[in-house]
Amino acid sequence: MEAALSGPPEWLERMVLFAIPPAAREGVAGDLWETYQNPGQYAVEALQTVPFVVWSQIRRNLNLPALILQSALIFLCFGGPVTLMALPLLMLREAYRPVTRPSPRRAIREAILLSCGAMVLLLLIMSVHSPFHVRAGVDSFTWLSLFLAALFLSPFLCLFRAGLIMQGDRRMPLAADNLSKDALAGAYQTFLKTAFCRNVLEGTALAFAAIAGFFFTWNVLLIGLFVLAAVYLLLDTIPRVASAGDFVSLRAQYQRELLRQEQLRRALRWLWFAPVLVTLQARLAITATDAQDMVIALLNGVAAAILCFLVAALNREFGGRVQEQIGVLDRMRES
Amino acid sequence: MESLGQFEQIVLTAILALDDNAYGVTIHAKVEELSHPKKVARGAVYATLDRMEDKALISSWLSEPTRERGGRSRRHYRLEKSGEKALKESARTAQRLIETITRSLGGLAWKPR
Repeated sequence: MEAALSGPPEWLERMVLFAIPPAAREGVAGDLWETYQNPGQYAVEALQTVPFVVWSQIRRNLNLPALILQSALIFLCFGGPVTLMALPLLMLREAYRPVTRPSPRRAIREAILLSCGAMVLLLLIMSVHSPFHVRAGVDSFTWLSLFLAALFLSPFLCLFRAGLIMQGDRRMPLAADNLSKDALAGAYQTFLKTAFCRNVLEGTALAFAAIAGFFFTWNVLLIGLFVLAAVYLLLDTIPRVASAGDFVSLRAQYQRELLRQEQLRRALRWLWFAPVLVTLQARLAITATDAQDMVIALLNGVAAAILCFLVAALNREFGGRVQEQIGVLDRMRES
Repeated sequence: MESLGQFEQIVLTAILALDDNAYGVTIHAKVEELSHPKKVARGAVYATLDRMEDKALISSWLSEPTRERGGRSRRHYRLEKSGEKALKESARTAQRLIETITRSLGGLAWKPR
């Protein structure tokens, strides 16, 4: 009988795996396993290695436009101190981005948790601040509407997440383990063409949205962001033709471009939702001008959390698809 | 062309020397050998590999999972054309430095260790 290869204790390995960002987990955890001597050495080695890996993943995944937009939205809803506290968390979240799409069970659980949280919070505000309604200018009808909206939010969010996942399951390109160089070049070329057309279309849409923003009296900063994004997309130097090289070079180019386009889309999704959130914040501030700060902050928080959930869900789903595709390419062999 | 830092030069040289067997553990060992007597943290090697991959100096892929790694794959690395070019340029600079230092410190009486 073959002797079992010695490795770290399961609990220790689990802790180390948890600490290593998913994108680097396979290679780094395997290297640590290969050089395992005893639990102490393994733990020390992991402690010395993981901070570098986390920092490297933060640098690799840092999406500055998206981070600025997210920070601006948090600042708008919760103010400066919360934004300062949230920044490192947002950056760490980027480092620990999953390399797969969320499972349907997890996606639906998150949707239910969010809508239940919104309902509980509204019930709490209603029960604590019942004599405060009239004074605050927020009548019972508004409270009831908000509560019902939160109640119906659950099936809506579940359907939204389930729909995204089903759509993703239907279209996962490059599922093969082996591919010829020509087939890979063809797939890369198709991707480049699609990305170019998409960037031109989205750039034009952003430019129109910026013009519309003038009529809807959007914030000047917001219009500026839309214009900047439109110009960037329309002038983006995406390669039109896949450059020559062997299978490995071609695959590396494909992976880099996939990642770059995904980073771009991630920032743009936040940008598209920003006007909705800004308008919502402005409306809430107008309808409850006399209300106590805490109530407004809570209501704003609920609305912002739901919107951010939608954007994050889109980003996780589409980002997960790209990460899965990069993973498939990583393991692909030339046939 | 991309100019390389000293540590990047060492890591690229390690990948070049290891050829088909360049992955985390072997690269780290080779880097320690090349930077002797300095100790090098393995994490610093990973961070440099990531950075150079982003600069398209190297490319990586995953191997088949193996038992001696607890069923995990190796991430293999390879120099790209731009990496080879940058490394050659660094070698030429180093060569010029060695020649100048040797001349200034008394010809053949001094040799780099």
